[in-house]
Amino acid sequence: MGEKIDMKQNRQISRQQSDGQAEKNRTAGIFIRSWGTLLGFMLLLAVFSLLRPDVFPSGRNFRNIIEQVATLAIVASGVTVVMVTGDFDLSVGAIASLVGIIAALLMKAGASIFVSMLAAVAVGTTAGLINGLLIAYGGLSAFVGTLATMTTFSGTALLISKGTTIFGLPDTFAYLGQGAILFIPVSVFVMGISLVLMYLLLEQTTFGRRLYAIGGNEEAAFLSGIRTRRVRFISFGISGFFASLGGLVLTSRLFSAHPQAGSPFMLNAAAAVFLGMTAFKEGEANIWGTLLGVLIMGVMGNGLNILGINTYVQSILTGLIIVMAVLLSSLAKKKA
Amino acid sequence: MGIQEALRLTQVKKSYTGVKALKGVDLSFNIGEVHGLVGENGAGKSTLIKILAGIVKPDDGEIRIKGNDVHIRSSNDATAYGLCFIHQELNLVSYFNAMENIFLGHRYPRKFGPLVDWKELKRKTGKITDALQVSFPLNVPVSYLSAVERAMVAIARAFAESGEIYFMDEPATALTDIEKKKLFAVIRNLRMQGKTVIYVSHNLDDVLEITDRITVMRDGTVVACSSTEEMTKEMLISHMIGKSLTSAFPERKDSTGDLLLQADRLTNDRIHDLSFSLHRGEILGIGGLVGSGRTELLETLYGVRGHQSGSIKLEGKPYAPRDPGEAIEQGVVLVPEERRRQGLVLGRSIYENITLMSLSEVSRFGFLRHQTIRKKSSEAGRRVRLKSSNYDNSVSTLSGGNQQKVVFAKTVMNLPRILMLDEPSKGVDVGARFELYTIIRELAESGVAVIVVSSDFNEILGLADRILFIKDGKMISCRENTGIDQESYLHFCYGREN
Repeated sequence: MGEKIDMKQNRQISRQQSDGQAEKNRTAGIFIRSWGTLLGFMLLLAVFSLLRPDVFPSGRNFRNIIEQVATLAIVASGVTVVMVTGDFDLSVGAIASLVGIIAALLMKAGASIFVSMLAAVAVGTTAGLINGLLIAYGGLSAFVGTLATMTTFSGTALLISKGTTIFGLPDTFAYLGQGAILFIPVSVFVMGISLVLMYLLLEQTTFGRRLYAIGGNEEAAFLSGIRTRRVRFISFGISGFFASLGGLVLTSRLFSAHPQAGSPFMLNAAAAVFLGMTAFKEGEANIWGTLLGVLIMGVMGNGLNILGINTYVQSILTGLIIVMAVLLSSLAKKKA
Repeated sequence: MGIQEALRLTQVKKSYTGVKALKGVDLSFNIGEVHGLVGENGAGKSTLIKILAGIVKPDDGEIRIKGNDVHIRSSNDATAYGLCFIHQELNLVSYFNAMENIFLGHRYPRKFGPLVDWKELKRKTGKITDALQVSFPLNVPVSYLSAVERAMVAIARAFAESGEIYFMDEPATALTDIEKKKLFAVIRNLRMQGKTVIYVSHNLDDVLEITDRITVMRDGTVVACSSTEEMTKEMLISHMIGKSLTSAFPERKDSTGDLLLQADRLTNDRIHDLSFSLHRGEILGIGGLVGSGRTELLETLYGVRGHQSGSIKLEGKPYAPRDPGEAIEQGVVLVPEERRRQGLVLGRSIYENITLMSLSEVSRFGFLRHQTIRKKSSEAGRRVRLKSSNYDNSVSTLSGGNQQKVVFAKTVMNLPRILMLDEPSKGVDVGARFELYTIIRELAESGVAVIVVSSDFNEILGLADRILFIKDGKMISCRENTGIDQESYLHFCYGREN
């Protein structure tokens, strides 16, 4: 421990001794670090617009993209909270699937749409709190804990749906994923509310301060009187809640519930948050970064589709871009 | 040429941004001797060891090993020169067994190509344990071994790596008397094998018992070096203290008020039967050596540790915090020892750090009130004379002294009832210390009860109204800070009652 601190101090000393040129480089470094990901996003838009000027840069297509990413954005905003404290949530995809199945089964059984949705979200939030219990109080690592519950939740969804897709949902339920208020799709509306709520929570409340303090230095946070375990426990509940919300919107969009419909959320949500950590704030999960990450993933998918590149290649490219973004930002950080 | 030199340092110098840690050290250690190295904190022992371990580079000076000029650039270099370091936190892999740990730096013996030859490993380990005349269980993970057995494993590993010069830093802390005897037997064995052992410790009795020669350091230089037979504890202490520093402390004013806290026979795994009282406006110093239970006492009062028996009363009401949050609610706050690791969230702003302990004071229904945050933080900042133009800056941009003031500001934003300080001036440069002491005194005068733990006895002697001396978690003495000089202070720390 002592050695590490010493090395850090040495580095800081040599940093202070560096001349004006280095100071300039540092400023440039901070700029690239904060805005590089956003610039990359612009570049992506420009490239697709140049390659397919007739199709890509149209209002219709942009609306399409935003509708496509709405569910991911809802789920990822919950995952952001967990990742602010330095934890991780692999189970969001499974929770989203499970919530969709439960809501669908309840509706089919004759429960009202509202009650079905409420009950399903309650189950999903409880699932998140179970994660929190295991990880914050049980001492499991977030990775192992949510990997295990992911499997369990996923199994539950398969079991109660008997592994099949549930069709024949009530027509009004389609409104959530397919309807619109004043030309704005309801799903986008839900996404907007989720993002604003999350912004308020993270940046404007004492709870947000506690989350960031834990992420920055858990021991110092604890010694400052923060109930670190309780905060982490709640953060998993929040993640479960937004995963549930995403699951409902997804089910409505597809107008059917599949026990594995939410699976792609698991990695995509984490990837979006990771991408977002490279933007705006230094290496910290933040909500606008997450939105940017979600948009990058959405634009990538959409643009590559328009270019007619097959989905396997798309996966490869998406992976490479995440690696590049995170690598570049960590290199920029090292240099500064 | 009867005695050969194993290691010689000539005029080794090192300064850290203006502070001279080593002002030209001349030292030599002989082959086949156990050499004690003593000195107060800040005397330069640890800098010296870091230089030899290749962690820190000296600014100037020569290092010779067996007569050859060497440059130690990394810890690998140090190992190659036969220098090995047995730390308190031993670098053992806790779920490996002793054999695996001892040969960690080597290739394990092989058979059939890649397979580890366990029989051969056991035989080789046996050779080493025979040579050192030590024994410890070989087949269980070292985490199941006792403290002394783990120390033995570490020594055996150094021996296996053909170490010539063994640096042992407080190796006997946390050992029972019987275990200590075992350790000393191993050290004598190493000496018989022609190795050099450098024994660094605050425990002067141990140093006098085990060493052949003793070097005393003070203020970055060697002030005495002679054979152990010619040394007494009193001589060592007077060498360590030297001329008393004209210390810069604010004038002590008696602001002691009513009884605030009463601890009665407080006991847990690190403290035993501690009873003491604390009054409003009083500064209580805790005297004792590293590992005496000083920090643990603070942790117990702060809810980090529980207590098995005994009781604490705060203003007559039972007080037993279960976590720091509850302690803070009762107005009991702590400035922890490790500022960067425990005190600050380094990546966050000064505002965020200052308000971290009192978020409910700067919010309404859980929502932050930025105006209140600004007002209250700058008030707290002023109280501790924090110099920073912009509280939006990250705390990592501040100097050590100013960082410490941020931690202070955090703890006193709501005026606490009890302020506990663990090594308050650690890593704070001398110039800023007086200011820190003045702040502490001012807080006491405003009615805050202060408890100070420090390894720097001048700090305790200069600040405290009363001193509670503890050793091994037990109370030695509790007395007014009058007529205690540095020598009697150390005697109390070492456990003598008068």
